[in-house]
Amino acid sequence: MDNLLLGLSDFFERLPYRVLGARNFVLTGVAVITVLMLYGAITRTELDLSTDAYLDESDPAIAALDEFRRQFGSDDSVMLIYRPRDGDVFSRDSLAAAQQLTDDLRNWQDLDPADYPPEITGVAVDLNELTRIRRVQSVANVRFQRNEGDTLLSLRLVPAELPESDGELAEIKARALAQDDLVGMMYSANAEYGTIIIQTDFGMQPVADYVPQVDAPDISLDASFDFSGDGFVELDFDESAEIAEVDFEPVDVFTYTAFHVATTAVWDKYGDQLEYYPVGTPPTMGFMQGVLNQLAVLGALMVVIFVMLLWILFRSFSAVLWPIVTIALSVAWTWGVTVWLGITVSTFISLTVLLVFAVGIADCVHVMNAYFSYRREGEEHYRAISRSFGRTGLALLVTTLTTSAGVLALTTSELLPMQVFGFMSAAGVMLAFFFTVILLPILLDIWHPGFPGSEKLSIPDRLARVWNGFTRNWKIVLVAAYTVLLYAGLGFLVGSYILAISLLTYAVVNWHQRILETVPYIVGRRPWFILVVFGAIFGLCAWGSTRVEVDTNISELVREDHPLRRAYEVVDENMAGSQTMVVVIDTRVDEGMLDPRILQAMDSLQNRILETQPEHLTRTYSLVDVVKDTNEVMNDGDPAFYQVPETRQMISQLLYLFNSANPEDRRALVSDDYSKAQITLNIRNSSTNEYQGFFDEIGAEIDAAFAHLRADYPEMQANLTGSMALIWRMSDEISVSQIESFAIALAVISVMLIFTLGSLQGGLIAMIPNLIPAFLGFGLMGLFGIPLDADTLLVAPVIIGIAVDDTIHFMTHYRVQLIRTGSISESLRLTINHVGQAVMFTTMVLGLGFMLLSFSDYLGMARMGFFGSLAIIMALACDLFLIPAMIMIFKPRFGVRDADTRITFRESTA
Amino acid sequence: MKAPVIALLAAAALAWPAALLAQGSGTQTPGAQFPDGLEIMREVEENQRATTDSSFNRMQLSTCRFGVSDNRITCAERPRVKALESVGKNYGPEGLDSRSVTIVLEPADERGIGLLSYVYDDAARQNESWIYLSALGRVKRIASGNSDEESETASLFGSEFTTEDTDTGKLEQYAITVLEETIESGREVWMIELIPDEERARETRYGRIVNYVDKERLVSLRSDLYDQYGNEIKRMLASRVEQLDGIWMARSLTMMNLVTNRLSNMAFLEIHTGVDVDDEVLTQRTLTDVAFRETQLQAIRSQVE
Repeated sequence: MDNLLLGLSDFFERLPYRVLGARNFVLTGVAVITVLMLYGAITRTELDLSTDAYLDESDPAIAALDEFRRQFGSDDSVMLIYRPRDGDVFSRDSLAAAQQLTDDLRNWQDLDPADYPPEITGVAVDLNELTRIRRVQSVANVRFQRNEGDTLLSLRLVPAELPESDGELAEIKARALAQDDLVGMMYSANAEYGTIIIQTDFGMQPVADYVPQVDAPDISLDASFDFSGDGFVELDFDESAEIAEVDFEPVDVFTYTAFHVATTAVWDKYGDQLEYYPVGTPPTMGFMQGVLNQLAVLGALMVVIFVMLLWILFRSFSAVLWPIVTIALSVAWTWGVTVWLGITVSTFISLTVLLVFAVGIADCVHVMNAYFSYRREGEEHYRAISRSFGRTGLALLVTTLTTSAGVLALTTSELLPMQVFGFMSAAGVMLAFFFTVILLPILLDIWHPGFPGSEKLSIPDRLARVWNGFTRNWKIVLVAAYTVLLYAGLGFLVGSYILAISLLTYAVVNWHQRILETVPYIVGRRPWFILVVFGAIFGLCAWGSTRVEVDTNISELVREDHPLRRAYEVVDENMAGSQTMVVVIDTRVDEGMLDPRILQAMDSLQNRILETQPEHLTRTYSLVDVVKDTNEVMNDGDPAFYQVPETRQMISQLLYLFNSANPEDRRALVSDDYSKAQITLNIRNSSTNEYQGFFDEIGAEIDAAFAHLRADYPEMQANLTGSMALIWRMSDEISVSQIESFAIALAVISVMLIFTLGSLQGGLIAMIPNLIPAFLGFGLMGLFGIPLDADTLLVAPVIIGIAVDDTIHFMTHYRVQLIRTGSISESLRLTINHVGQAVMFTTMVLGLGFMLLSFSDYLGMARMGFFGSLAIIMALACDLFLIPAMIMIFKPRFGVRDADTRITFRESTA
Repeated sequence: MKAPVIALLAAAALAWPAALLAQGSGTQTPGAQFPDGLEIMREVEENQRATTDSSFNRMQLSTCRFGVSDNRITCAERPRVKALESVGKNYGPEGLDSRSVTIVLEPADERGIGLLSYVYDDAARQNESWIYLSALGRVKRIASGNSDEESETASLFGSEFTTEDTDTGKLEQYAITVLEETIESGREVWMIELIPDEERARETRYGRIVNYVDKERLVSLRSDLYDQYGNEIKRMLASRVEQLDGIWMARSLTMMNLVTNRLSNMAFLEIHTGVDVDDEVLTQRTLTDVAFRETQLQAIRSQVE
């Protein structure tokens, strides 16, 4: 085993010579393949940004939802909740504003684009996007009905011409609030909030290249359409006829956003009278687009921070350029391989890029740090390259293997994009390693600090010289001015963040050598104390982790003061709830829905669940409501007839009218053959956990409601479904699969450490510094009662993979040194000296870079940025303090016989 | 929700008379030159309107999901069938008002449902409808106020045909072009494209219509209906083109919804125009009094036989 490790180290030490010898071959090969990969990435990328991308089509739950959508259609409408500033939906001003806004949305063609801002939050306003609007309903055009003798009147709730007198306005208000079916939908019970429902045609457009089946050449109508005689016609039918399934154009986040921005421009015009709380897919997607835009900015800033830090820490732009080349090639190849394999890419690709970025930087920093330190020690250029790979190669290999194993664990997920993400990330990590060992030696040979002809000082060096020229007092004044500028220009949070980065960078740049030299001394003085402190942290994190609640609440993924969250709250508090689910009842019998017993069972189910789930459920709606309403209407509005009639014929006749006028509305409730129907449930938004019991209870109620009909309808099925139910299920699934892959990653890392470190004892000791950063985030979230949502969990293995990399570098290097020197003290000193600086630098770069994500509006992202960088920083603390302390206390030999276990720090460094 | 139900009742009521116009018909224009598209479409429509006055019709609507088998478009399931009988007559000084009564014959559960509609040309006067449900045995008058700007497109008897497909008289709101002369169903046709102007575009679901009009008989043999994004969403095919009372007409119209793969076939089992209709037939009595209705319809039938 020892020989294998030393052999590997030697192999990595010899590798640069071979690579440099084949320089032209390597460069040509990389260039050719890169062109091929870029060509693939540009021409073949299928980027699926639609929400459906998260679903695996073969999943039975998805198949059920697809079938449901085919049957009942999708509903991507905007519910624009508004609150008049005068607090009354039925005041003259508010009604007028609602009327005008409704009219603007309905007749958007009349609007003059010059009256609207050219862009909102950086997205161009194009009023033509409003062509997506199918229907607009509001208090301005909604109708109510009244029975007058034998006449049934369908009247506008609010006349087009608003009445002159306040008395008449009060009458309208009283009438409106008496319409049970409109309260909660079109306005709140206290008339403080109103709704404008904007229905769209999203998800209903056939794909662009769709060719109708009937366009086939020589196709003709069946002869039975050409009926003869004057009698009844009987069209032939053929159940084996092939029915073309139409694929609908998937709607991506950009389309939703463009629509959302256009509608926003229109309603903002009445912002003086009305405050808005839009909910529904387009506003949510608009928000997602905002998150993506913000992320792009944060990502760019992150790159700036990476670049600045690398530049300052290494004082050479080659230390910036080569990692970026390595990372860019890794990303390009990963992307290329994926699309050449014909795999569709999802939004997760951004996470892959993030991971490759982090791993690529860490890999390059370790190598370059070793190279620079050898050069400082006076080693010749080629020898320095060779030795730096000898020093870091093995650790790079191990970290590559552990990180890929961690992300590969994601391929066990049932969600397709997660599998793709796992595969791509593993490929990206391995490619980053590949380019680091194959290409970096050549790149360092092309340009490196101290390269002939580049003797002049780098910009950071010159700046440092200028700075050191100042007197102490001047320095204090400058720092104070810088601080004031930061806080004034960037605000408290960002200002503090930049200040912290600056101070840390300053400290590390100036004193890293001293810090690294002092560390063994500090540890050597009080190893037990350090062990106890870290033990306590670990205990606290482990305890906190047991208390963490895995839970996703869609509205709580955004900050408390964010408009989207506020909108959800308003809808949940004042209206019928921001979410819907459906109970699908399939009798499997033609015209089964005309059976009075089925409708009565649905009726009692609706009443029952409304009674038993008042805190979640606000209203239900189905075919039964239509039948009961029409029955009452046809019987002069006598409330005694607000019930399901006794006979099939009566039901059939009542529904005849409903179907006649608008089969689309009818199809939204019951299938063409009247075998299937759905009950829509309006529910309040809540967390996934809170709804777990809800699903089971509704399921039990459904079974109970139809139990007595099973004998007559043996094949009947009734289930709770809908996109919301699916999203909840999906969040749970992501959580479970993430926790599983997290466990798998930890197990794999343990096994690899035991293997690499050559002993069970050593492996376990090495695991503890890995476990602390791994559990830190979970522990803190548990302690502070922050729920762990699917999104945070998604990136947990990524962050942990990055955090443990440094520990692995540290331990692997220590092991190799122990084999070489046979002395624990000497190995520890050399390890801290060799690896400490690289570990410190990568922690600075990655930890501070990721910290930037904490500023995201999207809490899923912000939490992972914050807790992720804490984990990375904690890993550094473990590497510098805990590992040496444990080594001093437990004196593990890592399978090295006759190792000298005397601790000699105090003497040698004190 | 109560409000939409009643709105639908009203829409259904007004959809009835429009169905009578759904016949794609026309008279032969001897020695017709090569008129422009608008002229051709005008003639097609003019003849369509002529068939509503003093008419007695029996028609049948069959709706199903369709597929293709051996290059034939056919129902893939047993079609749902509705059969209706209707009587109509024009009123007013210029015959611009109309009254009609429609009775459901099939399916059995709905037999006897009746609908009476009075449509007035004068925008100030409200249209009136009465619905009769035989299972309930009573008539209800439905009033929806002025059918102002919210006249939404309604389906005809729950089929794939909509009121818009049967609407006439809006031709001046279209840019009409004869695209080419071609052959459709073995007949020489003009391919005529209709593109709605801005005003019309707001009310129609169609962004473009292409009619294949028989050059000799002035019957539209095929219509391709496109949405606002340029996708063909529906296609209508006409068959069994016959000359009745000197008017060429298609007695079988098939509307295929290319997105949902459902089709509806409208078969005119009997079409009689110029019959003598007693004003009393077009009253509520026809809805409620089965004996009266049968006597009156028998009298009309005897005229046409």
